[in-house]
Amino acid sequence: MGRRFVMALAGNPNSGKTTIFNQLTGARQQVGNYPGVTLEKKEGISSRGGDEIQVVDLPGTYSLTAYSQEERVARQFIIEEKPDVVVDVVDTSNLERNLYLAVQLMELGVPVVLAFNMSDMAESRGLEFDVDAMSRLMGVPIVPTEGHRGKGIDEMVAAARKAAATACRPAEIRYGADLEQSIKRIVAQLNGQMPQMPTPQQRWTAIKLLENDAEVLATVKTATVQALVRKEQTRLEAVLGDSPEMLVADGRYGFISGVCQETVRSTVEARHTASDRIDEIVIHRFWGLPIFLGLMYGVFWLTFTVGMPPMEWIEGAFGWLSETVSRLWPAGSESLLLSLLVDGVIAGVGGVLVFLPNILLLFLAIAILEDSGYLARAAFIMDRLMHKIGLHGKSFIPMLTGLGCSIPAIMATRTLESRRDRLTTMLVVPLVSCGARLPIYALIIPAFFPQAWRAPMLWIIYVIGIALAILCAKLLRVTLFRGETVPFVMELPPYRLPTLKGIWIHMWDRGGAYLKKAGTVILAISIVLWALTTFPQLKDVEESLSAEAQQAEVLAHTTAGRIGHALEPVIRPLGFDWRIGTAMIGAFAAKEVFVAQLGIVYSVGEADEESEPLREKLRNNYTPLVGLCIMLFMLISAPCMATIAVTRRESNSWGWALFQLAGLTLLAYVVTLVVYQAGSWLGWGI
Amino acid sequence: MTRTETLSESLEDYLETIFLLIREKAVARSRDIAERLKVSRPSVTGALQALAERALVNYEPYGHVTLTPAGEVEAKRVVRRHGVLKDFMVKVLSIGEAEADATACRMEHAVSKNVVDRLVEFAEFVETCPRAGAKWVHGFGYRCQEAAADPSQQSCERCIEQCLTDVKKRKQKGNKTIASATLKDLKPGERGQIERLLGGGPVKRRIADMGVIKGSLVEVVRVAPLGDPIDIKIKGYHLSLRKEEAAGIAVSRLPEK
Repeated sequence: MGRRFVMALAGNPNSGKTTIFNQLTGARQQVGNYPGVTLEKKEGISSRGGDEIQVVDLPGTYSLTAYSQEERVARQFIIEEKPDVVVDVVDTSNLERNLYLAVQLMELGVPVVLAFNMSDMAESRGLEFDVDAMSRLMGVPIVPTEGHRGKGIDEMVAAARKAAATACRPAEIRYGADLEQSIKRIVAQLNGQMPQMPTPQQRWTAIKLLENDAEVLATVKTATVQALVRKEQTRLEAVLGDSPEMLVADGRYGFISGVCQETVRSTVEARHTASDRIDEIVIHRFWGLPIFLGLMYGVFWLTFTVGMPPMEWIEGAFGWLSETVSRLWPAGSESLLLSLLVDGVIAGVGGVLVFLPNILLLFLAIAILEDSGYLARAAFIMDRLMHKIGLHGKSFIPMLTGLGCSIPAIMATRTLESRRDRLTTMLVVPLVSCGARLPIYALIIPAFFPQAWRAPMLWIIYVIGIALAILCAKLLRVTLFRGETVPFVMELPPYRLPTLKGIWIHMWDRGGAYLKKAGTVILAISIVLWALTTFPQLKDVEESLSAEAQQAEVLAHTTAGRIGHALEPVIRPLGFDWRIGTAMIGAFAAKEVFVAQLGIVYSVGEADEESEPLREKLRNNYTPLVGLCIMLFMLISAPCMATIAVTRRESNSWGWALFQLAGLTLLAYVVTLVVYQAGSWLGWGI
Repeated sequence: MTRTETLSESLEDYLETIFLLIREKAVARSRDIAERLKVSRPSVTGALQALAERALVNYEPYGHVTLTPAGEVEAKRVVRRHGVLKDFMVKVLSIGEAEADATACRMEHAVSKNVVDRLVEFAEFVETCPRAGAKWVHGFGYRCQEAAADPSQQSCERCIEQCLTDVKKRKQKGNKTIASATLKDLKPGERGQIERLLGGGPVKRRIADMGVIKGSLVEVVRVAPLGDPIDIKIKGYHLSLRKEEAAGIAVSRLPEK
């Protein structure tokens, strides 16, 4: 058997490409990475109409330049992997811009099939297409499809097979006399210098060279060709008065509008679509902001209020599980294995799973906002603010997600196009206080502050986090990530009713990734931390002490306890003692573990954020200033090991992950130090 | 008598050749001149004497030939005329460069000077006059190349239709001049036509890829609540741009619908 039939799916963002991919492959998808970059590569197997087809979902792009990672990846895949056919999903309600990509695919010299998607939507806009004439003019097969209803998919697959078998010849886009002359000269040179290059690719290369495409320029190393290209570029600029890049873009759009003029008929002058009417309210000058804030509140309500009961179920289930496992051993027997299972594995996995409802609900909300088209509006509304910090409007989404959990937030930076913006956002996102820190505030605030102060205190902590994130982003932009900001050229796609299937897949894609990545890392780290808080064991504990006091003694004896003690000189200037230090080590697995660890060192047994005895102990041992400092340190320092692990994965570098860890820890130390020292000097809360 | 005022065509050729030789090789020798013009050495000597008589060249037998200041002015005029004629044939008439070069040389002899001068003026006029301009000339170039492929001249009809609607539009506007502005200056609800993209680099390219190219119609739909990105409608879809990017897009305002 030879290799499988490979079909690449290309298309603009929002063209319905993902829906068609889901229709084709169903559940048989796998998500990987393109080699060397952090872009997700989705593949799947389809067995529609006979032999199996390997479907590759290329990143959604508007063009095929070398400027964005998505575009580079998409065209590299086509040139290097040589798929049997490329199916370009075209949104017919926005034909001209969608065909711009199609024209570039045609120039690449691979068999191309156009899937005219969402034809029903275009019809409702009063557009009629002469598909046959268009297919003839462009020289490629065109199949009408309706992705969300699954119509036309079989025909599309059949056309794709046929196109791959019969070498069809797409129409050649002519760029006018002057450009053609330049192209001809460069092709002639290429022919002499690199005769092994196939003919359609020569023309494509010549055009790309004229367009000043950095990547193609790098592949053509011969000086004669480069000199010729420069000469032709100067000539074209002199004769036609614009850069060849613009001329090529003009030429492509010119070809497209020529085709459309002959084949598209607009029956109604539909100036205001339903989508326009929604926008009149949703991004209105005055109502836009309140609506946006309301929606964001809705997302939070859904995530945290609706998510509460299932969280409790999961907690209950894990409590039951650890009890059941404990009962397997006879009472009183001190089994290490039992401890490993209950305190290490079950507690660790439970610690991850307990956030799953939150995360799934958050991703559900984001998926609905994204699929409906609102997310682009959110970026549109927030860009002014984000731009001030040196970020892109789209950075707002990760920041917002960061209030829930830093892990999905870091993953959400994938929507950002520029690596600079992405890294900046990724690095500062943990400063936005995540849900796991809430138990710490919930424990400490009531312990030290009177009722009237509690809500403002919590608010202040969150604001400090956001302010620090903004400051750090600014700082990064003027130091490490200096340079031109990425233009905010973003489509505001028409609103669309999200499909259940689409939302479901979106939600599980990300939620599942969280489970897998955070789950494996947290499990490993929990075991390590379990070992730290277990070994070396204290063999003979003072029998006279209470059970809780014995527990505390044991913990003080372990590695974690020792590290805590060893850390004391370092954290003393922050107002912390070894107990806080020990708890902080536990908190590195996950922030909320801090509370439980503190419970153990203070020998109050099982403790959660509602534990009054623990609050009592804290009140007796620390001042409110120390309480504030604990919250500050917990707010600023890295949220958990899993965050660092995800940063490593998403930035594709340990360097950035460790930089984040070190930077956040240092920042936390400095801020807390300043607050504690200044506070003590001023006599606050002593 | 006329000879003292206007030079004969052949003397102009000599002058031109001397000028070009001096520019290329720094000196002009009568041997080189004879070679270039494919004439015998004695005729070169005769011509040089004639030119020297008119104080256009400094010439001593068997020495280098140089131009007097007056000769240089005259030579430049001739060279320019040749260049403009050639350009006219290449740019306006879409004729190949080599053919144009040869023809330009011969035209100077065959056509009366007055006609040549008029042609030169016309070529300059075509390039600079706003009413015809480069676009119109390109139309002719396109026609010359594609005419064979388009015998029914459908594209002509389309072009004429477009022209007529443009003229109608211009009439409707009356005498109001179209104010040139950037996209940033347009208020919500105002429409314009893209004239050109200023600046360069990836930003410009990205904007062009999204369909913001010369000639596209654009409408500013709204400004974001916080006052920065703007929402524009182009090619039937909504695109958002920051004002700093919009400031790099030159548009001509169109009257309100």
